[in-house]
Amino acid sequence: MTSTTWKRLAPLAIAIALLAAACGGREDSGTSSSSSTTEGATGAFIDPAKDCDNYQGTQGIAGDTIKVGTIRPASGPYAIYDQVTTGLDSYFKAQNAKGGIKAGDGKSYKVELIKEDDGYDPARTPQVAKKLVEQDKVFALVGVIGTENNKAIREYMNDNCVPNLALATGSPEWGKANEFPWYVSALPSYATEANAWATYLKTAKPNAKIALLFQDDDFGKSYETALKKAITGTDLKIVGEQSFNPLSGSTTEAAVTQLSQSGADTFIVGIGGTPCPKTLSFVPDTWKPTTIISVTCASKTALSLAGGKDQGVIVAQATLDPADAADAATEQVKTFFAEGATAGLSKDQMEGGIVSVGWGFGALFDKALAATKTVDRAGVVNGLFQFDNNVFGLIRPDVEVTTDNAKDPWLIEGFRIAERTGTGWTEKSPMANENGKSNSYAG
Amino acid sequence: MTGMLASVRSNWTRSKWITLVAWVAVGLVLLALPQQFPSFRVEQFCAWMALAVGACGLNLLTGYNGQISVGHGALYGVGAYTTAILITKAHWPMLAAAVAAAVVSFIFGVVIGLPALRIKGLYLALVTLAVATLFPLVIEQFPQLTGGSGGLAITSPRLYRGALRDKPIIFEPPTSALAEDQWKYYIFLAVTVVCFVLTRNLVRSRMGRSLVAIRDNEVAAEVSGVPVATVKILTFGISSGLAGIGGAMFALNNARVSPSSFTIVTSIYFLVAVVTGGAASIVGPAIGAVLYGVFIDVVSPELPERLKPASPVLLGVLLIVLMLTAPGGIVGIFRTMQGRLAARRLRSVSDNPPDAAVSAAT
Repeated sequence: MTSTTWKRLAPLAIAIALLAAACGGREDSGTSSSSSTTEGATGAFIDPAKDCDNYQGTQGIAGDTIKVGTIRPASGPYAIYDQVTTGLDSYFKAQNAKGGIKAGDGKSYKVELIKEDDGYDPARTPQVAKKLVEQDKVFALVGVIGTENNKAIREYMNDNCVPNLALATGSPEWGKANEFPWYVSALPSYATEANAWATYLKTAKPNAKIALLFQDDDFGKSYETALKKAITGTDLKIVGEQSFNPLSGSTTEAAVTQLSQSGADTFIVGIGGTPCPKTLSFVPDTWKPTTIISVTCASKTALSLAGGKDQGVIVAQATLDPADAADAATEQVKTFFAEGATAGLSKDQMEGGIVSVGWGFGALFDKALAATKTVDRAGVVNGLFQFDNNVFGLIRPDVEVTTDNAKDPWLIEGFRIAERTGTGWTEKSPMANENGKSNSYAG
Repeated sequence: MTGMLASVRSNWTRSKWITLVAWVAVGLVLLALPQQFPSFRVEQFCAWMALAVGACGLNLLTGYNGQISVGHGALYGVGAYTTAILITKAHWPMLAAAVAAAVVSFIFGVVIGLPALRIKGLYLALVTLAVATLFPLVIEQFPQLTGGSGGLAITSPRLYRGALRDKPIIFEPPTSALAEDQWKYYIFLAVTVVCFVLTRNLVRSRMGRSLVAIRDNEVAAEVSGVPVATVKILTFGISSGLAGIGGAMFALNNARVSPSSFTIVTSIYFLVAVVTGGAASIVGPAIGAVLYGVFIDVVSPELPERLKPASPVLLGVLLIVLMLTAPGGIVGIFRTMQGRLAARRLRSVSDNPPDAAVSAAT
């Protein structure tokens, strides 16, 4: 009496729901797009005939359109990085409006960007990356955000010979071009940046007593390791050291207070995101160290959170700052403002310093296409690895963007040291290029 | 009178027949799914199964035994890290590592469950909350073993283009007819079904009745001879063991673990899965896990660009609406309908003369 048809029907209803969801059908993986031949030019870094099992060189290219994918957090606590992707998208929109990107084969390509959200969770990145490659059939990934997120898909991208370009991370991990040739970072190595700080201190403050605050992850530890390596054998000394865990949900206040008592006269903030400017605001008025901050927080948007304590901080810069009056007068920034406006970016967005990073990623993909005569996957990566002083986006014009056929896999290895003055920067030490040395600065 | 009995009997056999057909249909669909979807989707299904097994464990504890745990994300993490470390560092085979993960999680669960003997309700929730909060921080303290905040890729040495290299683990299919992701799906499906069937048997056993008795009235249960302390701790252990198996599946599915996957948010996902599916029902957590997975992996990416950052808000609103309209979750909706229908049939049977009921039934 208690058993009724309804209860019995429940699983049937589930079955129907599942069946309804099961529409679609698995595509036959055997339908390979026409695999094109890459120039057998001797000296090309990647040779797909040798390096790839099932090379799909022109997947994602249809007529004059190239489909590329990107992965970023559009939800969750790191959703601020979505603005990087806005910049990337805007770059492609602006170029598409002008008729497309001119590639080395003489044709102009329009770029279609497919954005996916992994919530900054590296456990979800592989699924969305596979979706982009296998279902959307993108040509490459561009501007994927997060060190762990990029690491989580590295073997997959490499095994399938799909380029992952303009990584939005500067982990020293990306220097392994021989092992993972399909990965090219669009940022300088964090290790090279830390080395630039030490180089500056060696002349400006040779007996500096350093208080070091670093983020307790790959990002912060890259700084820590490289800095310690750079100061061995010098008179620079670390007198206080604190790490900060961004997952802990607390602030850096206690760490800053401790460091202020360490007797240090120099304060290095190896922290990113909003905790970085917040750290500046915690510095007590009685402590007046020379403060060096990570370039990831040297933007107008980030420094506006420092409670006015951003004045005089020092940063190693590789890019132009659209909010700086001197930089804004350069042709590169003027072009950015003009083209960005056609893609619908507001002045605030463009000056903020986050959108412009993504804009640069788009520009890098542009340059990579222009550098290859064969527009296919291997061709584009080989093109990138043949850069010879090929400045892109808002990279400072005196940075030598040179890759030397992957012997020098880092694109950006030059920094100038600048000091925050008002809403702009004053140069303290001119551009110094360290071509081919980035890997040696890492631990 | 005999007519009425006959009608009931024929109805019963008919509904039993419907059940059988329905479960066969569910089974066929589940078996067919990996043939129908691309590999990334199949891997998402695998992730949903991992979540379902973990939620099944939490349901045993919270739904049947009435102990609230906000710490199952941590136990899930214990399972995942045990698997990852044993495979990568000690070169254990996958199955053995997964079994070890269940055992280690069981032990952790028993230890965490000890305070539960004295602490109840919200206070117990706070203790487990502390466990959930501490877990990722503890993991980061042992970078040599766990990979620290950077996480750990689960690798095994394999021949790759002529050289032996540490490559992410894969589920080598026995025949070339199956792709790697499909084979993984079938293994996961088998494990999931076994976990749910064992839980069902447990709940219907003597121990299952003890669980419910303790939930409903601990004093009465003790007076009736239920060994409250043993049952409570054992429940915590078994529940954690299931979470550990779920964690092992999670780790094997991604071939990578990192502390950010096991924060307090993960614990809350488990509660969401249990509550939306329907607490204190066997299939409830599975339905909840699938619904949650569908929202995160299927619906959420299709949202218009402007709404994407608001998807957690949307999830929250949907949950509130569900809890207001169906406090018993999805299974609760079925139970309510079934109750109404039973009541109506009873009424119609007693209102009408037996002959009418017989003719209506035929």
